[in-house]
Formats: sequence, C-alpha cells, structure tokens
Amino acid sequence: MATFMDVNLVRYLCSCGKRYPACRLYLCRHCLKLRCSDCVQHEVDSPYCPNCLENMPASEAKLKKNRCSNCFDCPICGHTLMTRATSQMMANPDDPGKSTPKKMYYMACSFCRWTTRDVGLPDRVVANGGWPDEDNADAKRINTLLESYRAVAQREKAEKERKKYVKRRSHAGFQDKYGLTSVAMKWKIQPAVANLSIKEKENEKVPSPPQMVEPVTDFDPLPPEIFTEPVQLEKVTHLTHRLAAPEFQPAETVDLRPIHKHLLVRRSLRCRECEHNLSKPDFNPLSIKFKIQLIALNHIPELRIMSPATFTPNKETVVTFTLSNPSVYNTVVKLLPIEGETDTDYMTAKIELPKADLVLAHHDDTAVYDDSSKISPEFKDDPRVIVFRRANKLGFVAKVTPICKSGDVKVSFQMKHEFRNTAAAIQSEDKEPKLEWLQQQVFVRLGRIGQ
Amino acid sequence: MAAPNKSSVKIAPGAVVCDECELIGDITIGARTVIHPKARIIAEAGPVVIGEFNIIEELVHITNKFPDGAEEKRNSQVMLIGSNNVFEVGAQIDAVRIGDHNVIESKAYVGPRVELTSGCIIGAACHVTTGEKLPENTVIYGSKCHRRIQRERPPAQNLQIDFLTKILPNYHYLKKVTKAPSPQK
Repeated sequence: MATFMDVNLVRYLCSCGKRYPACRLYLCRHCLKLRCSDCVQHEVDSPYCPNCLENMPASEAKLKKNRCSNCFDCPICGHTLMTRATSQMMANPDDPGKSTPKKMYYMACSFCRWTTRDVGLPDRVVANGGWPDEDNADAKRINTLLESYRAVAQREKAEKERKKYVKRRSHAGFQDKYGLTSVAMKWKIQPAVANLSIKEKENEKVPSPPQMVEPVTDFDPLPPEIFTEPVQLEKVTHLTHRLAAPEFQPAETVDLRPIHKHLLVRRSLRCRECEHNLSKPDFNPLSIKFKIQLIALNHIPELRIMSPATFTPNKETVVTFTLSNPSVYNTVVKLLPIEGETDTDYMTAKIELPKADLVLAHHDDTAVYDDSSKISPEFKDDPRVIVFRRANKLGFVAKVTPICKSGDVKVSFQMKHEFRNTAAAIQSEDKEPKLEWLQQQVFVRLGRIGQ
Repeated sequence: MAAPNKSSVKIAPGAVVCDECELIGDITIGARTVIHPKARIIAEAGPVVIGEFNIIEELVHITNKFPDGAEEKRNSQVMLIGSNNVFEVGAQIDAVRIGDHNVIESKAYVGPRVELTSGCIIGAACHVTTGEKLPENTVIYGSKCHRRIQRERPPAQNLQIDFLTKILPNYHYLKKVTKAPSPQK
C-alpha cells in the first residue's frame, strides 16, 4: 500500500487552501468542512508532567515555572533521571561500634550514565523529591524588574479602561506610555472630562523605572594558565548543557545539577468558524482516549494508490486505486474531473475517472474476522471499473496519461461523497441521519515518469 | 581464514558457555564467565584470552582480526579481555586490549586500534574506531558519540552472573569444561 508507507502521496484540500493527507485533517461536523491543524484554534487544556503524569491547572504550572517538582532531566543528555536505591552502612548512633544498613537514594541517567554522585551531591534519605534547588543569584533583580513592569502594565491597562469612557483624538493613544497624555489632555478635552482625568492622575503614581544595569566595559585578562594548561574537555560543559540551565549556566561539569522536567500541555482543538470542538482529550493524562475526536479519516472515504506504476510520456497507463469507507452506512462516491486545470504544480497528467457512481459498502468491525471472500450481491459492479471489493473497501481503475516529459506524475480530481451527519441527527431526533453531499479536492502523486 | 581448530578452546570451571555459540581458534575462557548462545568469538590472528566474570550476550562478535595491511600470519597478536566486562546484545569487538569493568552496550562497535582500560562504557550503537587508549571510566554515549568521564566505574554484575549460571543450563546445552583449574588467575 503505497499511501500506507507514504501518507503524503494522496492529499486532500483543506478548507484553508492547504493540502494535507487525510490522517492530518479534521472534519468539522457543524460546518461540514475539512480543517487542518493550521486553521483550527489550539487551546491549552492542562499542563502535565510527561514522566509522572501529574496534571495541574495552568496557574499552578506557571508558579512552578512550567516544570515538574518531582521529576528531573539529566543535565548532560536531557534523558529522564531515574531514582536508584543503594544501601549504605551507617554508624549506629546508639552503639558506635555497630553499623546498620540504610537505604539511600540517588539519581542516575540510564542513557549517558550521569549520576548525582558524579557532581558530589549527597544521597537522599527519601526516594521522591527532596532535592534542593539552588537559589538563583539574580532572583532579586528579576523580581524587581517583574514588579516594575507589572506596575507599568497595570497603568497601561487602567489607561485603556479610561479610554473607553473618554473619547480621544485619534493620535492621543500613541503617546500615553510615558505619562504625557494627561498633559496633552488638558488642552484637548472638554473641561469637565479633563478635570476628571486630572484627578485620576493625582491618585496614580508614575512607576519608578527599574535600576539600570551598568554596562560592562572591560574584562579581566585571561589567566595565564589558559595558554599553558592542556584543555580538559571532559570537565567543561557544552553549550547545550549551559543553555539547558539558563539561570546558572554552569561552565564546569561539577556544577551541573538535575534539571526539573518541563511540563507538556494537553490541548484541544476548536473550529474557528463555528467554535465547536474538533478534538478534546480525556481530562486524565493517563488516558489516551478522546472525548471528541473528529479526524477526517473517520468520516470521509480514504483514497489510496494500490500499486505503484511506471509511466511513459503521453502513454496511457492503468492505475488501481482503493477507496475505503469509514462510515457505518453505504456511501456513494462520485469522482469528478477538474476541467481546465493547467497548473502543472498539481496536475501533470490527464486522468480518465470512472463515470459511474461508486458505492462503498458500510464499515463493519466484525468484517475483519470474516474471511469468506464472497461478493455481496447487493452491488452491481462493472468489472471493467471495479477490480475487487472486500468489506468496506473497493479497488477501481483509472487511466492516466502523463502530459509532461519527466518528473512526478500528479493528478487532481474532485471526490464527491455522501456524508451522514450523525451530529445533526441527535439534535433533530430523526431516525435516519441527515444525508449531505460533501466534495473534496484530492491531489495524488502517482509516481515518476520512467526513463 | 585458516581452518578452525575447535579443539583449542579452553574453558575454566565455573564458566557457562552455551553450546550454540561459535568459538573458533585458540580461545581461553576464564572462570564464571557467561557466554550466551549465538555469540561468536573468532581467534583469527592469534589467541583470545577472556578473563573472569564476563557476560557475553547474544550476537556479540569478538574477533581477533589481522591488523590492516599486516601479513596474515597466525599467532601474531594476542587479544586480552579482562574481568567483569559486559558485552551486550549485538556488540562487535575488534579491540585487542580490554581491561576490567567495561560495558559495551548493544550494537556498539569497538575498532581494532582502540584500547579500553577499565570502567569504560561504550553506549548503544556507538562506533569507536580511533587509535587511542581510552582513559579510565570514559563514557561514550549518544548518536554523536559524546564523551564524558564518570566518577565511579559501573558496578559488577555478580547477581546477573549468578542468575544466568542458574538459568541458562535449564534451556541450553553447555560446552564442557576443558581446562584443569589453573593456579594463576
């Protein structure tokens, strides 16, 4: 199955104009349009730790700097660290002559074999957590900066609120960052409103700008040892090691510390037009199930190239495609050519599609276990078009004539198919789901022209 | 290659050497060493001497090759493997000097001009082909074969050796011990 190995051979046109394989697309049940990950809204459901699967609300994650408090990554290779237990002989405090075994824990990387003992961190008594976090030397400076910018943000927000009530001249909004507006407003705004804004001005304090950092102008000269001593590469950290801990940036391997594991995010997808969910995972991060998952593969017939063929320019070649039906109803598919397509980016061959409607049998989960290959008599197939039929799948042939001299053979056509909207059926409480006709443009890369 | 001389394999008592492994040439296997089935040790350019407490897993190829360009003369070099080494599944070793407490992980390759001292770890699928003597406790890991020096050497696998010595004879025929216990190590 050519498209099983390379999903990009058959691509569908998304409603936003991009081409994606069916497995990358979503079908909005309410707009009845294909959506891709580029044209849907991504929403953060909850951050979670990929190692211990603990999930937490976004506000808590922000407090923890989007890192897990219990799980650590190796500072050398980034692999998750594992806790190892050892027993050490400890001197018994009651009886100094005797020693008792005591369980101690340290962390080790199973990939590059880095351990917390390598950098001289003492073993812990408890298995989970308890590893001390180093204090950031710049924490105070960062906090003052954060505070002053928060004040600025608050001020700007307040001014924006005021703007809603006070109508301003169009250019006044541009200069209000530095507290000049109120001066300007005195002149421009009617006295009553101006008085109000002046009063407000008196109440609020202009946030004092944070203390400036002294620019570094000169450096100490390099120590003479740097020219005489041989470099010990294994004692120096790589750039990636330093950037993994931006607050410390250890230059020597002995200063490396375990890095708190980054949290990942469970996200849900939402259609931008109708604002319905297209994909919503289960809340529990342990579960791989979805509450809502409207991937296109579950709703629209999937076209695949059955066997690769070689082509010669201007010579007709018969290509076999398969169509499979994911729906639990029999589905009629019409294949329509695209007239007047001249763009050779998408079409370098003429394709003669089956004229008749193709009826796909319904999807049946138990059909996989049914190995009797009897052809159901309910379909009257033209054996010249339909090569085989098995469960919810059928194979049909089409004649392809390349019109280019070399390169890829690409064809494009419309696929019009029935779609039973089960979402609408629930709402209207009809017995039979409403029948819709959907039309998708399909782009197929069939192969190359043989030399 | 010269005709294999299977009779010159010496296995010390306590070693577990599965019958399905391939031993060709003059090979000496130390006490308590475990050799899994389908491992292959070829003493082509000279004898191979394996110490004690080693684990040689499936599909490991240990070859004492003729050095490149050298005359193909038998008994030209001796391959010495120390004690407490672990050769994981699918490792390939052409190095003629291997010390103690090394771990060669799965599918790793150690070239003929490399000398492993002791406590070295060659990570999975890492290829080491340079002509150098690796310092003690070197760890080579990752797709780019990064190196670092470990503080402690990897622990000895005595428990695993005990387990394998117990379990392997249940399912495999073993090669018979051929060598009388020798006074030296």
